[in-house]
Amino acid sequence: MDNATERVERQRESSQALFGKKAAKIDQLWALARECADENWDGTGAAAIEIGAVLRTEGFLRALPDRVPLPELAVEPDGAVSLDWIRSPRRLVSVSVGRGSRLAFAWLDGTNRGHAVERFDGETVPGPILERIEAVVGNGDAALRAP
Amino acid sequence: MLPSGLPEIVADGEDLARFLTSSSQYTARMAKPAAFLPAPKGRETSVFRHGAEPADALWAIGERIVAGSRTIHGAAVVKAGDVRASGLGVFAEEPPPRHATIRGWPWRDDDPELQKAQQKELAILVASDATLVWRFP
Repeated sequence: MDNATERVERQRESSQALFGKKAAKIDQLWALARECADENWDGTGAAAIEIGAVLRTEGFLRALPDRVPLPELAVEPDGAVSLDWIRSPRRLVSVSVGRGSRLAFAWLDGTNRGHAVERFDGETVPGPILERIEAVVGNGDAALRAP
Repeated sequence: MLPSGLPEIVADGEDLARFLTSSSQYTARMAKPAAFLPAPKGRETSVFRHGAEPADALWAIGERIVAGSRTIHGAAVVKAGDVRASGLGVFAEEPPPRHATIRGWPWRDDDPELQKAQQKELAILVASDATLVWRFP
């Protein structure tokens, strides 16, 4: 193979690997949806997961740029889905995806903390959320892994 | 004094255990913030006034009161004083024995997403101070 062909082949393999990771994360999301499909799934009165939140989360995961590590997933007591980028207990970002297009997020970065709301159009992850994620975990940070 | 024998006021130095019934509620290193968010109905987070030890007693509470058909994976244990330092309140609420609630979460009916963002910031603070206790190490 010439250099150009090799580059294309490497990019194709890289895309397949990334798609595989996203596909696995989306599978995990739907498994979570099944686990939390009934009210009181946590034993302390949580609402059932909202299917609209699951669908919007799937869209958010697909829209994440490939350079951004994939998040941890959790279900919130009101039925929304939480996407967490956790570098350490003192460095993390948490995004909440519910039925609507406005996404709540909050962060802790050492002594710096805050919260905000951004609109997600279903195709592009809002810039302020991406910036916060990248500030906390960096690009492709290996520290960010599921248990 | 409460029926459990505990004082009515939860002291800052007391441990509070939040039982974890889903593997999605924690990572290898910490309980996720979502584990501490309030239930929408009562607008509070249910916890138990118990620390990591004695472990048998901790898991007995979880099995008897929280688990039902669920599996108790572990507990996130945090000091009441750390919860209060985040701006939230901790109040004894028996029965069941040793039960307490974390209250004072921001609530805004005019803007649910802003409400959630504010709650998440506080939940992150609580989770970052909590210690994860595994039931099946």
